[in-house]
Amino acid sequence: MRSETGFFTDVTLCIGCKACEVACKQWNQLPADGYTFSAESYDNTGRLSATTWRHVAFVEQADRTDPASSRWMMMSDVCKHCTNAGCMEACPTGAIVRNEFGDVYVQPDVCNGCGYCVPSCPFGVVAVEPKAGVAQKCTLCYDRQKDGMEPACAKACPTDAILFGPVDELRATAQRRVETLLAQGREARLYGVDGDETRETGPLNAFFLLPDRPEVFNLPPRPVLPSRFQPAAYSTGLLAASALALLGVAVFRGFREGA
Amino acid sequence: MSSQPHGAAFGELGNVSPDAVAASLGRGDGGFGRAQETYFDHPVLHKAHWGWQIVGYFFVGGAAAGSAALATIADGSGDARDHALVRNGRYAALAGAGVSGVLLIADLGRPERFLSMLRILKLKSPMSVGVYAFSAFSATAGLAALEQARADGAISRNPLGWIPKGPRVAVHALAAALMASYTGVLLSATAIPVWYRGRRHLPAIFALSAASTACALQNGLLALGAGSPATSRKLELIETVAGIAEAVLLLDYERAAGAPGKALFGGTRGRRLKRATLGLGIAVPALMALPGVFGRHANRADRLRALLTAACALTGGYVLRESVVHAGRDSADDPRAYLQHPT
Repeated sequence: MRSETGFFTDVTLCIGCKACEVACKQWNQLPADGYTFSAESYDNTGRLSATTWRHVAFVEQADRTDPASSRWMMMSDVCKHCTNAGCMEACPTGAIVRNEFGDVYVQPDVCNGCGYCVPSCPFGVVAVEPKAGVAQKCTLCYDRQKDGMEPACAKACPTDAILFGPVDELRATAQRRVETLLAQGREARLYGVDGDETRETGPLNAFFLLPDRPEVFNLPPRPVLPSRFQPAAYSTGLLAASALALLGVAVFRGFREGA
Repeated sequence: MSSQPHGAAFGELGNVSPDAVAASLGRGDGGFGRAQETYFDHPVLHKAHWGWQIVGYFFVGGAAAGSAALATIADGSGDARDHALVRNGRYAALAGAGVSGVLLIADLGRPERFLSMLRILKLKSPMSVGVYAFSAFSATAGLAALEQARADGAISRNPLGWIPKGPRVAVHALAAALMASYTGVLLSATAIPVWYRGRRHLPAIFALSAASTACALQNGLLALGAGSPATSRKLELIETVAGIAEAVLLLDYERAAGAPGKALFGGTRGRRLKRATLGLGIAVPALMALPGVFGRHANRADRLRALLTAACALTGGYVLRESVVHAGRDSADDPRAYLQHPT
């Protein structure tokens, strides 16, 4: 069986050029998000959205008392293509599927825009595009992959901070990269391979090399898989409904005429 | 060449909020802290787009499910004086199912979009389970209303009368129980902190609210028609017990939710929720139900008071759904609630 495909995004190699953001917008014909100035470093995109499927975060860590330890980290965020995908579990139409490349794909012609995948994504990736009224997110360039091409963002990345390929090969590459960085005395950890963050979602097909804690990049240290909450919720609801039925029967029997 | 994009760009650049600049610079740690807890406090999660249509669906669907349950129980366990409740409850359940369907389609945009949820059943998705619960509920509510119309003489023959009553009522009761509670499951089983921290409360609170709003609605309908005071007393008793349980669970939810619960219980939303749901929706009807506070349908004043009491309870039920749905938006926008409370 062919291995699943994914992204390995290395924050230590990203130079923040946003070529991935632009290439993604061009290939997938996504509209501009408006001209806004966030006053937050060089990041005026803010976050992933229905029309932004790659987003480069600019994390500035300046230390005036110890300028040498200041650093600037650029992180190109993307859909994680989870092994256990909250969006896919939540979808009531079956629009969200795992395609033949092992990636999580929203079929736009099947999606009915109910929006339940949106609060069910533990990474805040998928969103409903108001004009089309359907959920949208990174497709991992499903169309390009079908033609044997790598996704537009990985193709455009000038430093190979975004690598595309079979996930098991990417993991081996990433492991070697972590060892190199650690040997140089630098901070490096993988996010989405086998850490705390994969306890519920499983390994992520799009994983990251981070030089700091995940929350610095707005990545949840422990993303939740929403279906985990269902047993408690269903039993609570059915317990209450049963108690109410008993109450109703007791009241109507108790005050019956002639009872 | 159009100069419009540049014009727009400078227009926006001219609108840089001084607060945004100050916020990004004035952190007392040299501008950008080493010990960042989040990325510029940007939300980690996206929020659901759900508006008044979904709030209305939660409310109307709950009251319809409760009305159906009351009619079913009154039919099976009540006496001859409860016939008006059986009739009103059956018709209200069907009407409520119809309004719920319209509200769902209004949210989705096109009728076919509702049907696209019926192409598969996914037990893992509360949205899918709920759609089937709603469909089963609507269908059986239609059957019950047909039966009622025949009994009322509105139609001479029930074309679907050959469907055996036992299974029909069993499916109707189970669907009503799911309708009343699944909306709480739907919200609890998401990545939104204020909702998932209510997984041991919200489904029960919604079911209890469905019961109390249905009792209030039916009491109001009985006051409009010639309902029996005996039926009203039974409904008031159920409404009071359900209301007290709902209030206890709401307060326990606030305790259990902790910091992420502030999206629902803090600030103006929390005050409004407590005033409308606990005060108007539960305390007022409970006080009016106390023996001797007011008579039942004896005169116009009593009817008016019964209708006002019902309106209070229904308002409380609506504000409850609205507060919970809207709290989810604020909770999604709060990165700390999610990053620090992942259980």
